[in-house]
Amino acid sequence: MELKICHMYPDVLNLYGDRGDIICLSRRLQWRGIGVQVTRLPIGRQAALSGFDLVFIGGGQDFEQQVLLEDLHRGKDREIRAAVEDGLPFLAICGGYQMLGSYYETFDGQRCDFIGALDLYTVGSKKRMIGNYKFQCEPEAGGSLVVGFENHSGKTRLGGSVRPLGKVLSGYGNNGEDGTEGAHYKNVFGTYSHGPLLPKNPAFCDHLLQTALERKYGRAELEPLDDAAELFAHDEMAKRI
Amino acid sequence: MRFNAILAILLCKALRLFSRLVHRGGTAMPGRYALKLCPELLSLLAKDVRTVAITGTNGKTTSARMVEEAFAEKGLNYFANRSGANLISGITTEFVMNCTLTGKMRKEYAVIECDEAAARTVFGQLKPQVILVTNLFRDQLDRYGEVTHTLENIRQAIQGAPEALLCLNADCSLTASLAGDLPNRAVFYGIDRGAAPSRPKPEISDATHCIRCKTEYEYDYISYGHLGGFRCPRCGYRRPAADYAVTDVLELRPDGSTARMRIKGEVRLVDVNLPALYNLYNAAGALAAVTEMGLGADTAIAALGRFQCGFGRMERFGLGKAGAKMMLVKNPAGCSQVIEFLQTVREHLVLVLCLNDRSADGTDVSWIWDADFEGLAALGSRLEKVVVSGDRAGDMRVRIKYAGVPQERIQLEQDYGALVDWMARQEKPIYIMPTYTAMLDLRQEIIQRVGGREFWD
Repeated sequence: MELKICHMYPDVLNLYGDRGDIICLSRRLQWRGIGVQVTRLPIGRQAALSGFDLVFIGGGQDFEQQVLLEDLHRGKDREIRAAVEDGLPFLAICGGYQMLGSYYETFDGQRCDFIGALDLYTVGSKKRMIGNYKFQCEPEAGGSLVVGFENHSGKTRLGGSVRPLGKVLSGYGNNGEDGTEGAHYKNVFGTYSHGPLLPKNPAFCDHLLQTALERKYGRAELEPLDDAAELFAHDEMAKRI
Repeated sequence: MRFNAILAILLCKALRLFSRLVHRGGTAMPGRYALKLCPELLSLLAKDVRTVAITGTNGKTTSARMVEEAFAEKGLNYFANRSGANLISGITTEFVMNCTLTGKMRKEYAVIECDEAAARTVFGQLKPQVILVTNLFRDQLDRYGEVTHTLENIRQAIQGAPEALLCLNADCSLTASLAGDLPNRAVFYGIDRGAAPSRPKPEISDATHCIRCKTEYEYDYISYGHLGGFRCPRCGYRRPAADYAVTDVLELRPDGSTARMRIKGEVRLVDVNLPALYNLYNAAGALAAVTEMGLGADTAIAALGRFQCGFGRMERFGLGKAGAKMMLVKNPAGCSQVIEFLQTVREHLVLVLCLNDRSADGTDVSWIWDADFEGLAALGSRLEKVVVSGDRAGDMRVRIKYAGVPQERIQLEQDYGALVDWMARQEKPIYIMPTYTAMLDLRQEIIQRVGGREFWD
């Protein structure tokens, strides 16, 4: 067995340790004797998404956003929409998550068109939502308790055709108002959680790997790993907030 | 001096005296209250002092110590904000402690390191002769925001001091860009192509796209991170030629380096009494600042061969059979450089990683995943043991587990007393990498055990 992972825009979407998610996915496959290939897809590089089993998009800073959007609107957006509908698993964090939505509206009303793969949009606010937070994933998204770190000023609103990824137990989540965090649609998992997300949340990581392996091979049983170190870090933070 | 200024000075001195009586540092608090009484106190005191101000993400304290050593070498009557009190409050306290009760400065020179975010309020009052900007890296994003934001802060800070001469890192595309938009005179320092290690583009760079036109940079060489021979293929913005350049690295030893440097056209042999490549940047920057202050390159070179940094920057302690070295880490770029330094250590060693997430450390610890801890796994059996400690020891343990350090070599110990006991029993040299507040606490614990200086000394 082998998973081919696409790391989208690692050259500009690489803030807040999000590459830790790639390291985590790779290690947890390797430790189980499952092959893994990570392909970096920086700005300007084309590759057919249908050749991958899992796509990762991290968060980024505002400075490069314009360059990135130009690249997206040269056809990658269409391809991502098709891949999402086709059931390709995605993990998208913060800016990457917002980008999968329809648009971003800045605080002063300027609208920026995003990919439109998910029925959600984001509106900028003056207050930054920063801090450790935790949320409980919905059962169909694995149901695990996730601890992470959020740092965003955008408030995301979900449309009717996507489900929240989970319910906020502490912190802000999508917008700090409706108690939802992230989005789940087909096999796309979008979240504000840096931290990075996966290393401290092995159950969530394995749910994602399971989803990707099942889609590729029909069925997959993940061998359990010794997660004592991961769960210690997870539990310490879960207790603190 | 005006009445409120004198009152502020009195208050500041009294608060400091009180702090020391109760064994507290009193580095920032007295100045904070003094500025409430007299908001322009710093500018009143600073106007008769010739100051070198140092800002940037990494290397501020080390560069400041190097400049200070040169001032001492020359016998100048100077003072410095040594204890890392680098916000306006701490800087003001330091000025007050060096003036008379009527506000007359007792010193002619000052070496002041200044926090990047605080520079905007400080430089306009300080009016330094020379401003040294070391580099800009992503740092504590929850506090400073994006690196371009920090750059803008520094730009605005320098606008308050248009007479200051700028010493800028030529190899940092962000820092070097300051020269173009400001009226200040500028000189550049850096590591030339021949002296830089040849290495591929790093996986993560803090400045991939041109600060002027957002086109991806091309590089002739990279020394580390985003530092190196950058050039923009579209607008032509490129690394400026360095007036103070490391042209050849002759030796990188565990306790220091030897390099050839070109100082305004003249090539000199320079010994730096501090190891690691990144300290060659600090050395070249300090050399530029000292020379531009008019002290002469000889003074600077002598100082570089002799100075000691202390306070968590390659600071040595007589702990364990082979001693301990403490190396403060604050952000991915600096941390990766320390790990790279460990790879040059030939002997077997034990390592202590101490991660806190208090506000001075940055509350977001995700940055440890952007640092190349994989370099620790590359040490193989030379890395005999790693102890993780601090408030976020659990996160650090996960990081190095995923970096490939064998689990049986990793140990978690969050009690500093027990940790120091453990270190005292070690036969192998100990390397300690703490974040800022972890350094303060752990250092205190070590000093109580084996002696050393209080942080404000």
